[in-house]
Amino acid sequence: MIELPLMILIPSILAAVLAGFTCSTMGTFVVRMNISSIGYAMSHAAFAGAAFGLMINMDPLITALIFAFITAFILGPISEKAKLQSNIIIGFLFSIMIALAFIFLNYIPGEAATGTALRILWGSLFSVDYNEVLLLVFLSFIILVFIIIFYKELISIMFNRKLAEASGINTKIFYFGVLFLTGFAVSISLKLVGGLLVFALIINPTSTAYQFFYDFKKILLFSPIIGIIGCMIGFYLSLLTDFPIGASIVIVSAIFFATAIIISPKRKKGNGKKVIK
Amino acid sequence: MEKKFVIKLVNIDTIYEGENLPVIMDINLKVEQGEFISIIGPNGAGKTTLLETINGLLDYASGSGKVFGKEIRKNKNFIRRNTGYIVQNFEIDPLSPFLCKDIVMTGRTGRLGTFRMIGKKDWDKIWYSLGLVGMIDFANRPIGKLSGGEFQKILLARALAQQPSLLLLDEPFSNLDVSSKSQIETLLNRLHENLGLTIVMISHDLSFVPSRCSRIVVMDKGKIVMDDSKDKILKSNRINKIFNHRCCR
Repeated sequence: MIELPLMILIPSILAAVLAGFTCSTMGTFVVRMNISSIGYAMSHAAFAGAAFGLMINMDPLITALIFAFITAFILGPISEKAKLQSNIIIGFLFSIMIALAFIFLNYIPGEAATGTALRILWGSLFSVDYNEVLLLVFLSFIILVFIIIFYKELISIMFNRKLAEASGINTKIFYFGVLFLTGFAVSISLKLVGGLLVFALIINPTSTAYQFFYDFKKILLFSPIIGIIGCMIGFYLSLLTDFPIGASIVIVSAIFFATAIIISPKRKKGNGKKVIK
Repeated sequence: MEKKFVIKLVNIDTIYEGENLPVIMDINLKVEQGEFISIIGPNGAGKTTLLETINGLLDYASGSGKVFGKEIRKNKNFIRRNTGYIVQNFEIDPLSPFLCKDIVMTGRTGRLGTFRMIGKKDWDKIWYSLGLVGMIDFANRPIGKLSGGEFQKILLARALAQQPSLLLLDEPFSNLDVSSKSQIETLLNRLHENLGLTIVMISHDLSFVPSRCSRIVVMDKGKIVMDDSKDKILKSNRINKIFNHRCCR
């Protein structure tokens, strides 16, 4: 086990808790609004952006945010207009973003290039500082306000977008709101969890919570709790074994999800989709 | 003095984005306050397109359309907030994480507008709507666990929670068993009688026209081909020709 003074670990612990909270809270909407593919593409765009930032000697967080938002700006309307299937979006953008990221990583100047590159690939315990923690606190606050104020609109859209529109809700604003907040959460969490794995933190805790509850309020409560617990156990596992923290967090959250699938009370009887016409 | 119509469509053509030919054309339709009309026609006749044109989900390419005396194009939000709508072909995930009361709650969303949260008065209206459709006992049940008829009732309660002046129903009897159809029919008759709502209902099934429905509009190939009282339409030979001709293709 890595022996470290607690003071050094405090920003990383706080960041793990807050990243678990922000990512898995946004995950509840991403999963239900069926925009996982766009979120997935955004997280890899953020990864490519961070690599680009390192290449041009700029703060990778800023470039990650820029890349994620540009992707949301382009992909949101395209997927709406062209009604692209999610596997096409993933197949096309995932490869492009990863290719770009590797090209950018290849041109990172200086001796420490390899270490830096690896850190944004699979995250690091020591890459976060108090600035990132503050940003995560700010983002957590924004997400909470967003949910409290627009809860009824979000539920309405998640249930059926067409019905929501027919009730007079401008669904596009909320759709993009969720995309941008997700991009924000992914970009800030990237340093801790790593660009290749950060989206698992969006999907796994939420998917775990979905296995247990029929009440969205409970999912909204338990998804971040599961996310935070997963991050903390992953964090401890990383300290214990010297595994990369991103990989540790994702493995823990994946175990949570697999266990949930097995013991899920919702899956005890065969449940397929049914169409009520 | 000119009558005030809840819906007034004059020479309406609606074309889907990216297409050249109108899906519905030359539509002229006037619906008075408190009327209960059925729009019937074979599949592909343009019935849903007409309904979506009325509440502004689809823009019309030409003609003039007014709902509640306001032009549809410029007053979409106003119209939608005052119109209860039930969509057709609803895919529901049995594991869906929503309770029935939450779905009915979403009916208040458009009515309240953005930045206003659901309060006690809204919940009173939500419970009242659940009561109107006889579904109070189902309030805390998961929406994915309902039968087709129960689900339609919850959608109706959702529409009623909106306190609409106009109800647009897209195939409310589709895929329901006879008993559920009968329950929904009774419910619609009661709502029309007690609340005085204007109801426009789409159906492709001639056998289920609610008794309170006084007028039938028949659509075929994107046009209104008949518009008369229920009795006259159901007795006409032409209606049988339209349906038989289409179903035998």
